[in-house]
Amino acid sequence: MANLSVNICGVQLKNPVIAASGTFGFGREFNELYDIGTLGGVSTKGLTLEPRLGNPVPRIAESRGVILNAVGLQNPGVEHFIEYDLEWLKNTGTCVIANVAGKTLDDYYGICAKLDGKVDMIELNISCPNVKSGGMAFGIKPETVEEVSRVAKNGAKNTPLIVKLSPNVESIAENAKAAERGGADAISLINTLTGMAIDIERRRPIIANNTGGVSGAGVKPIAVRMTYEASQAVKIPVIGMGGITCAEDAIEFLMAGATAVQVGTANFTDPFAMPNIIAGLNAWCDRHGVRNISELTGTLVLNGK
Amino acid sequence: MKDYIATVVKNERIAENIHAVTFALEEKPRVRCGQFGDIFVGGTHLLRRPIAVCKVDGKEVTFCYQIKGEGTQKLKEMGTGTKLKVLMPLGNGFFVEETEKKVALVGGGVGVFPLISVLRQYAGEKEISAYIGYRNAGAVCGVDEFEKADKFVAVTDDGSYGEKMNAVQAFAKDLEKGNRPDVVLACGPTPMLRALKAVTEKENLPCFVSLEERMGCGIGACLVCVCDLTNGRKARVCKDGPVFNANEVTL
Repeated sequence: MANLSVNICGVQLKNPVIAASGTFGFGREFNELYDIGTLGGVSTKGLTLEPRLGNPVPRIAESRGVILNAVGLQNPGVEHFIEYDLEWLKNTGTCVIANVAGKTLDDYYGICAKLDGKVDMIELNISCPNVKSGGMAFGIKPETVEEVSRVAKNGAKNTPLIVKLSPNVESIAENAKAAERGGADAISLINTLTGMAIDIERRRPIIANNTGGVSGAGVKPIAVRMTYEASQAVKIPVIGMGGITCAEDAIEFLMAGATAVQVGTANFTDPFAMPNIIAGLNAWCDRHGVRNISELTGTLVLNGK
Repeated sequence: MKDYIATVVKNERIAENIHAVTFALEEKPRVRCGQFGDIFVGGTHLLRRPIAVCKVDGKEVTFCYQIKGEGTQKLKEMGTGTKLKVLMPLGNGFFVEETEKKVALVGGGVGVFPLISVLRQYAGEKEISAYIGYRNAGAVCGVDEFEKADKFVAVTDDGSYGEKMNAVQAFAKDLEKGNRPDVVLACGPTPMLRALKAVTEKENLPCFVSLEERMGCGIGACLVCVCDLTNGRKARVCKDGPVFNANEVTL
């Protein structure tokens, strides 16, 4: 039995496996299948200050090795979460990461302030359109990444802030540094890649929103590369994600520089994906004589070096 | 709800573009009529296929499916002995109240199969009339099951089997003759359900409809497969449904 626990900005996780936001709700449904208290953490469904109904359906499509989704942040609002779900989720014993989104800087400040001190960590979704900059996502340019990180951190003074980076950018390293400058305590990546899938019989995109976020096994090499580049650029901890399906995938991310990982789409393919990954990490560490999984972080050596 | 290891015991064509797969599970599942299973077809398909349970016979479960894309094509090619995972039972299913003695089933397209599960659960206990619409004679299936109903009216869009009309028209015609059920249970294409709702609302008949939507997790966590409720809220087709009171859902 290896020691799978990891520490992210002072928060101790039982293991490095965290449910990725949007694939796991607030954990109740998966808890009917297994004890979610066994997970390293749960990043909640994206929360906003006000309840949101989300996008029209269809909200999901499939392409080989990946899926596309455009749920549109349907959620009951942060207050509803605090009142009805937070205590339950805490009591499971998992680390609670509140994933939050907004349309304005004020939204980000407000929601972080509301959750400050109440959750283990806050994860900032910055892939949302910024209404003040003509709808361009906060997460695209380093300047807005830094600004939104700073504003959010002002709200989340007593709670570690994870900034979740978008991969749809010019330089992931520059954006990682921008988040760090803005006061992020950690970064997570990658959020989904923007894509489109077409129903050729109807000559229309399958998803009602036309475009959707691409995730799943097929995006993993991109995510591993970006995790490597981002972790080389910053000193703060990195949480890697993108297409993780099995323990070996998770280990790639750790070696690339991640301290922990998130698992999203794999939960749809196999609802027991995360417990299986945790068991697989244990087995892998035992086979390789790794006593503490945290020893693996950033151990990648590039060819030619 | 359990992620069963299911072994294919039979997988055959039952009508034009429609196949039926029977799996042997490790144990007898507890399934209510109208519930569904999420079938893992493997390969490059990351999403499972949510398909209504048609029959449960001891440890054997039968799902009927339309060959629509690569996933169902792959399912079609799975031979006897193939093992795959099926997460089930999922969703709420159909309920008939104690006081409801006469049940009308209205179905069309692949929507006929969950209605077979209703028939199998309530046959003998309730007086069941089934109004089933098919595209044409080649699409007709499940007749051996529906013939066990107290009344079975099969119709087709082109009149090649039964009268030329749709299932809702067949139901409405019988209703006019005074054959009034206590409750209507339906599954089929949305336009069919919409037409049915117009009839049952006018007649003040309780009506429950089973909906279909592209799904993610299948268990209510991801909020992908939502439908609109008449109260302005959203509901999850996979978890709050797939069966909804027709009065409460916007079709």
